[in-house]
Amino acid sequence: MTWIRLAWNNLARRPVRTSLTAVGVGLATAVAVSLGGFNLGFRSAIARSIEQLGFQVMVMAKGCPYEAATLMLKGGTGLLYLPESAHEQIRTDPDIEAITPVFLGVAEKPAGGMDEELGAPAFALIAGIEPESYRTMKPWLRFQSGPGYDGGRWFSPESTDEAVMGFEAAQYEQRKVGDLLYLSVVPHGRSEPELHTFRIVGVLERTGSQDDGTVFLPLRTAQRIFGREGQLTIVGGTLRQFNAIRMREFEGRWMSIPEVQVVSLEQVKGALVSLVGTAQTMVAAVAVIAVIVAMIGVLNAILMSVYERTAEFGILKAIGAERRQIFRLVCLETLLLALSGAVGGSVVAVAGVRLTDAALRRLLNLGVSQPMVLITPRLLAVSILGAVALGLLAALWPAARAASLRPVEAIRGQE
Amino acid sequence: MDAPLIIGRGLCRYYRRGIETVRALDGVDVTIGAGESVAVVGPSGSGKTTLLNVLAGLDAPTGGDLWIGGRPVRGLSEGALTAIRRGFFGYVFQHFHLLPTLTVAENVVLPLLFLRRPLVPNELQRVLDAVGLADRAHHLPRELSGGQMQRVAIGRALIVRPRVLVADEPTGNLDSANAEAILSLFLDLVAREGLALLLSTHNRDLAARCTRILHLKDGRLWDPQAPVTKT
Repeated sequence: MTWIRLAWNNLARRPVRTSLTAVGVGLATAVAVSLGGFNLGFRSAIARSIEQLGFQVMVMAKGCPYEAATLMLKGGTGLLYLPESAHEQIRTDPDIEAITPVFLGVAEKPAGGMDEELGAPAFALIAGIEPESYRTMKPWLRFQSGPGYDGGRWFSPESTDEAVMGFEAAQYEQRKVGDLLYLSVVPHGRSEPELHTFRIVGVLERTGSQDDGTVFLPLRTAQRIFGREGQLTIVGGTLRQFNAIRMREFEGRWMSIPEVQVVSLEQVKGALVSLVGTAQTMVAAVAVIAVIVAMIGVLNAILMSVYERTAEFGILKAIGAERRQIFRLVCLETLLLALSGAVGGSVVAVAGVRLTDAALRRLLNLGVSQPMVLITPRLLAVSILGAVALGLLAALWPAARAASLRPVEAIRGQE
Repeated sequence: MDAPLIIGRGLCRYYRRGIETVRALDGVDVTIGAGESVAVVGPSGSGKTTLLNVLAGLDAPTGGDLWIGGRPVRGLSEGALTAIRRGFFGYVFQHFHLLPTLTVAENVVLPLLFLRRPLVPNELQRVLDAVGLADRAHHLPRELSGGQMQRVAIGRALIVRPRVLVADEPTGNLDSANAEAILSLFLDLVAREGLALLLSTHNRDLAARCTRILHLKDGRLWDPQAPVTKT
């Protein structure tokens, strides 16, 4: 006979109550673990997503800078354009290390999309780029290999009928190297769409970024088919020395141009983090309520158990149990209850991490492509220990009550 | 001759019930020695259970002096009383009070957990043999009859090798055959192990088999042989 076996047997006497209480603790732990994972994951997810843009600064037409940055992250298009001459001007800036022009547009896919079978319109995000400078910004981009993908390459800047597809875009369209891609575009100033045909010359490997869902065209071709020759959506760049002073000086030089604004992606990161911080506070409040409810559940279950077993505690004292042993027994029962619930809740949180990530993604819709929930062993350990500690806190009163029972009165009280 | 195990002199136990004072024990003198079997008899409310509780250190007397194993217990805290009675007494109750999810063997060895005593090899078997439950060691209480459950409770009392076995109405929930068997078991243990037995009962036939009977009425001992004095 051991203390643990005795405590476990006592819990097993009321299986429904014990299970329900453990489920309550488990749910609270699952919420706490998921929230903690979100806390840990979202900052690095935002940071990684922004890093994968490859830029330190973006120069774009005046408007809401965060909206523009979010559109870039999510793969949308800005309504505002800046003249291509800005690119040439910024290229000469002494702080600029590398620079690339980007034109973004949305095309309708008249054939081949999966959604077409359901009758829903399908759209493709088009990025007009200069391959050489774009690759300088994103050296991690690689072409997929294997049957149907071998021989992938970038198009030449002058090409008019070649395209490169991101990993997910190609999967979605079921396209491989050498296949044709049809895009329907309504040019600027026109109302009727024009159909364009491109040959796929490369499919990129998965990057976990917005590039995965993008169809890349040569910059000039993209500008032409959208009827926006000489216009850009953004100019992305990296600075020779990226620090606050250099950034301020760079901004100062280019903000003076009336139609242009400069956005530091550090600023965007800060804005997104603070935006999510509000949501985090709300979710944290829910988690705190869940934990309090679970604690009350534990307190209720253990207190009921102590009341029901009043005579039994009297007997245990009569046959030799000391006050502290009774106190310890009740605490041990609570510890086992809280521990089993907390471990179960942690398993649920780990198993459901993708679901949680998807739910948060849908709720916050930040366009962050990296996983937003990061559950670490340390987080699990802290959550389980926290649940056990709170459970023990809830057990103090019932345990003290059981320990203070006088054997004669306890036995007489329930006979 | 061995020193008495329990000596009580002028023992009183008063309770407050509203504005009324209940004299559950009122000046009782008792001495119990090793190898004695003492039955406490009397009508309901006469103070039998209170006397057993006081003599067994479960309840503190409000008056008089009590020595358990030669140690005075007057004014001791509950913790100190617990220390004195641990291992000195074995308790058996009318309602058995076994833990329902523990097996017979686990119920029997439970007190050793509280006394932090290791289980001596063959000790469990010795006790189970003594109470006639060797073939029921792994059964749960719900699988036993009333008489068997009381035997488990007796085994639980014996495992600590007590000096005094205290049994409050141990046959109260048993039929006459089981009651006879349980009392025989008690008396056999007293004879074989040199214990003192202190039991309360309503059953005068069972009490008659003990070496001594204490008659209790209104919290006082009285002698049924004594001539009645008219006042």
